[in-house]
Amino acid sequence: MKYVDAVTDISIADIKIDLMRTAYDNDRALLNSFDPRVVLLWTVLFMIVPWLFYDPLPLAILLAAAFALAALSQVSKYLLALLLFGQVTNVGFFVVMVPAIGGTIQAVGYLRDNTGRVTEAIATLDPAVFGEIGSIVAGAAARGVDTALTSQEVGIDAVGAVVPFFLKLTIISVVSLAVFSAMSPRKLSKGMLRLGVPRQLTFAIAYGYRMMPLLVEEYHALVNSFRLRSEVPEKTGFLKWRYFYYLLKLSVKAFYPLIFNVAKRSRVTVEAMETKGFSRSLGDERSRALRTEGMMVRTRDVSFVFGSLFFVAAVWAFT
Amino acid sequence: MHSSDIVVEDLTFRYPGGDEPVLRDANLRIEPGEFTAVVGGNGSGKTTLCKTFNGLVPHFFEGRFDGRVTVAGTDTREAGVAELSKTVGYVFQDFENQLVQETVRDDVEFAPLNHGLDDYAERATRALELVGLEHLEDRFVWELSGGQQHLVALAGVLAMDPEFVFVDEPAAQLDPHNAREAYEQLRRLHEDHDKTVVVIEHHSEFVADYCDEMVLVSDGGVAWKEPVEVGLNRLDDLQAHDIHPPQVTGIAADLPDGSGRLADERYPVTVDEAATAFPSVRERTGERPHAADGGERVDRHGSAADADADPLITLDGVGHGYPTLREGYNRVLDGVDLDLYAGDRVALVGANGAGKSTLLRLITGLESPDEGTVTVLGRDTSETLPETLADDTVYIHQNPEEMFVEDTVRKDVGYYLRNRGAEDADERVDEIVDYLDLADLADRDGRLLSLGQQRRASLAIGLATDPTVVLLDEPTGSLDLQSRREVTGMLRKAESRVETVVVASHDLQLVAEWADRVVVMGEGDVLADAPPGEVFDDPDLLARTDLRRPQVVELSDRLGVDPAALTADGMVATLTDAAEATGALADVGSGIGGNDGTERRGDRR
Repeated sequence: MKYVDAVTDISIADIKIDLMRTAYDNDRALLNSFDPRVVLLWTVLFMIVPWLFYDPLPLAILLAAAFALAALSQVSKYLLALLLFGQVTNVGFFVVMVPAIGGTIQAVGYLRDNTGRVTEAIATLDPAVFGEIGSIVAGAAARGVDTALTSQEVGIDAVGAVVPFFLKLTIISVVSLAVFSAMSPRKLSKGMLRLGVPRQLTFAIAYGYRMMPLLVEEYHALVNSFRLRSEVPEKTGFLKWRYFYYLLKLSVKAFYPLIFNVAKRSRVTVEAMETKGFSRSLGDERSRALRTEGMMVRTRDVSFVFGSLFFVAAVWAFT
Repeated sequence: MHSSDIVVEDLTFRYPGGDEPVLRDANLRIEPGEFTAVVGGNGSGKTTLCKTFNGLVPHFFEGRFDGRVTVAGTDTREAGVAELSKTVGYVFQDFENQLVQETVRDDVEFAPLNHGLDDYAERATRALELVGLEHLEDRFVWELSGGQQHLVALAGVLAMDPEFVFVDEPAAQLDPHNAREAYEQLRRLHEDHDKTVVVIEHHSEFVADYCDEMVLVSDGGVAWKEPVEVGLNRLDDLQAHDIHPPQVTGIAADLPDGSGRLADERYPVTVDEAATAFPSVRERTGERPHAADGGERVDRHGSAADADADPLITLDGVGHGYPTLREGYNRVLDGVDLDLYAGDRVALVGANGAGKSTLLRLITGLESPDEGTVTVLGRDTSETLPETLADDTVYIHQNPEEMFVEDTVRKDVGYYLRNRGAEDADERVDEIVDYLDLADLADRDGRLLSLGQQRRASLAIGLATDPTVVLLDEPTGSLDLQSRREVTGMLRKAESRVETVVVASHDLQLVAEWADRVVVMGEGDVLADAPPGEVFDDPDLLARTDLRRPQVVELSDRLGVDPAALTADGMVATLTDAAEATGALADVGSGIGGNDGTERRGDRR
């Protein structure tokens, strides 16, 4: 059972702390040292940039740069691994999918060509023709499988066609992960507020950051609560799949009580926010000005933007 | 009379849709400079009353509002909640959810920033200094302990520099040590910074130790407002509202004819007063008397007794810890050896973070020890799934809410049985529900019950599994005294069905009344493992682990009762015997014995 524990328990503490570090330990993150408005604009810019490239090579270089940025921003390795896993399986899926669909189309086509004979056979109820139906179906299946097996190349070609697309998506995902895990929520909401985002939204972001660890703890406690009162499937099956399916079920179930508990918490929170003058501050210019003061675009902010644009230009020119 | 008073005149308030008014013709005046406790039973309306002062009633909770509340001359109906909160600060009972920003400083600055005050930073600095948290200003709120979070909530209120500070049940969500710290803080605010402090409080011992005035709220109205010494002497009123007087006051009331009274004919309300009021046993008898209830409980597992008994639970060289955000790996347990036997009533005590909860979780198998082995009923927990260990072991979470996964208590109690395909599930659920008097609550959602009821329901969930071992994490962690008595009764009931009960607790009164084996945790290890009498006899150990002795033990020490009495009944018996022995009561006559038990006014638990 040791390795089961390794997956379910010991690593949970590690994953939790790793995610916490991603979200909360921003002091040394590179992106956190710039003016938040500049970083936000830069992010928007780099959501567009990857779409200007079509070849895999420059996109791969940009992706490498995005990973370097993510490393500097202390993005959780678990999150990155999850992201990569998702993208790689997506691409891999095409390798299987394209031939499979090709085969199915062939088989269906063959069946359709012979529909007349099949319906005829059913209408006459002639046993001899029934035999023929069997051979038609078998023929269809054979053609399908044959096509599927021989069209690997088509599949790989298809992957070649989608790789740049997935590269672009991955770049954007990694960049936004880097940005949002590197910037402290305070800076983020300050920058957004200054850029004219409504305060309700910036507050919600800050509040989300404050509540998240608590919810994680509570969720973990609820999952444990479920575990102590449930029965493990007796036969765990191949690769323990039944066991992991059971854990998966529990972890979904645990969301319901969590949502209820959150609703209960928020009752006090809204009262408290009223006493702290939150609704009063919404239309208050003075309050808004105080919240956003002290921001300044300095040379290093500007050089960061131009430096990265220069890097993109260089990639453009030399590939 | 000041113009800056809070004045409530003929206030009646009814929540929309409510049949009965929550507040009924309430009249009250709170003057600047007071340190006042508002007491009252559950549902008496004391929290609603206090929420009228900052305008939450009627601005936030709209309803039918008759009468008048004025704060420093302003009618609360004519000013908003935010404006009134500049004068009346409010720390909620559920203070954790009062903190809405991610770091300590951000949260304290939140209100001044909302009001657009230029000096918001200085205000926050001053408030943080007032509560002594300036070194934690950059910490994330969720990193702090409960006691620290309470101080942040207080600082957030102080940043607006209010004249009045209301604190709703500070002792309810904090352990006894932190609750006392919170009160010390409030006392400093009151004495050194001239704040008017009003607490809503169930624990009369805190009221006696810290407050000057006392308001009894009864049935939506204000029954009376009296100085604390006078109010706590109105034992009949208190009892009628489920408020238990301090232990010493209860003992005084039970002592034969007036021997427990002070010179001014009232009962003492603090240990200090009691020590002067009660006959000093030592002087009269010339020797230290023994507590009538034996003081030290029998050590059932003395070296000889358990030579042949196998422990149910064994911890062998257990080390365990957690990764933390800032301090790397935090080692909570370090080489712990411990054997727990059938029939043990074990109390795990120790300061916050001493590893009590960790130890319980290790026994459940939810976590495997980093080092060493934990064996429960012959199974190594590292090799066994927690689901399997749960066949015999039950863990009751310190926050009962985490145990409710269904929408009724009945379904929750039956959850385990149905999952295991027990055929007689319905009958067993019915039986447990009856056993713990949950019949009225069984069809309600566990999360919407009061804390005491939740605690009972969570024990029912546990007992339904027919466990051999019951582990309870802080069963009185956030309870009023009423519920503590329930918990003690509950534990006794549980004992008749299970082999071993282990309770992690800060509450030494519970420990004194219930446990027969106290395991003191600290510095990653077991510091002491002895019967309660012995542990209470070691003041250094208690101080080191942030534990505070129950009043009756403290009093035993002052009066020279040795070994210390552990319960109020024991103390009454000792004092009565000692007095009789010295003939001090000779002229009172022989009626004492007959009165004993019939004329009990003090409700001592």
